[in-house]
Amino acid sequence: MALDLSMPVLVVDDYKTMIRIIRNLLKQLGFDDVDEASDGTEALGKMKERRYGLVISDWNMEPMTGYELLKHVRADTGLSKTPFIMVTAESKTENVIAAKKAGVNNYIVKPFNAQTLKGKIEAVFSD
Amino acid sequence: MAPASPEQLTHIVDFLRRERRDLSLEDVMVLAERMAATLDETMARVDTLLHDEFKSIVGEIATLRRDIGGIRPDHMRFERIPEAGRELDAVVEATETATVAIMEAAETIMAADTSDPEAYKALVDDKMIVIFEACSFQDITGQRIRKVVRTLGWIEERLGQLSQRLKFGEAEALHVHETDEERRQRELILHGPQMKGEGVSQDFVDDVFATSDQDAIDKLFD
Repeated sequence: MALDLSMPVLVVDDYKTMIRIIRNLLKQLGFDDVDEASDGTEALGKMKERRYGLVISDWNMEPMTGYELLKHVRADTGLSKTPFIMVTAESKTENVIAAKKAGVNNYIVKPFNAQTLKGKIEAVFSD
Repeated sequence: MAPASPEQLTHIVDFLRRERRDLSLEDVMVLAERMAATLDETMARVDTLLHDEFKSIVGEIATLRRDIGGIRPDHMRFERIPEAGRELDAVVEATETATVAIMEAAETIMAADTSDPEAYKALVDDKMIVIFEACSFQDITGQRIRKVVRTLGWIEERLGQLSQRLKFGEAEALHVHETDEERRQRELILHGPQMKGEGVSQDFVDDVFATSDQDAIDKLFD
């Protein structure tokens, strides 16, 4: 899967500042088409309306968490192939393992830097 | 008539079993009266015992009321905890305001026209001052958080004293019902941020994602 900088990216986080940070970092990396959602429910609705090339999601949100969103996405035949990166402060081993088992493509522990985000996006699209 | 002791009643019953052919109505009446008198005394003893037990329970309840009063629940509920909540809200607001100010300054610098170096430097200097000013939030938020920590210490101390007096142990704690929020946190694996050195590192995460060996991953749970 090739990395296409023109693909639409969906950033899911309930903290507006974090969306702004990720949006700015993505812009620095060359991504211009960045959309946002404040929880899993809103994200799922947007994903059913538009085909995103990448989803970058927080874990801990209400009402639907990023973990639930991931499981919904992987269970939906129309969305299941969407690359999904979890960016979260949830840093227990069981979180990492659960996310991997649920089919996440990569996992970034907050706080993170631009280099880590860049590296994980590149890793997802080089697989 | 004096009440019979249990031994005396046993003798009478044995006698009646052996000599029941000569038993008269008067014998039966005498026996009935003696047994009634014995029952009265037993009931009186039970009454005294119950009275003592109830008195003891009332004493325990009074002590419990004094202990609960000692932790000043109204002060905790209506003053200390709401005040701590307001302090934390103020911390969230201050950090958000500072973050937005810093990000706006950074975004302005990133989007600035660099064709005029002097104008660009003036803009960067100006925005750097904004960033320095915004960082002053840390002093105030630090003080607010210390106040919240003191409140938590105050609550912890009083609940600890109460728990000690009540001899409240883990056995009782096991029967506490799980709330909906606790169940959600458990099922959706919501732990929140970990303390420094407690959570896994990005290197650990990268190792997990570098292996496709499910058995090796499962062993991490052992």
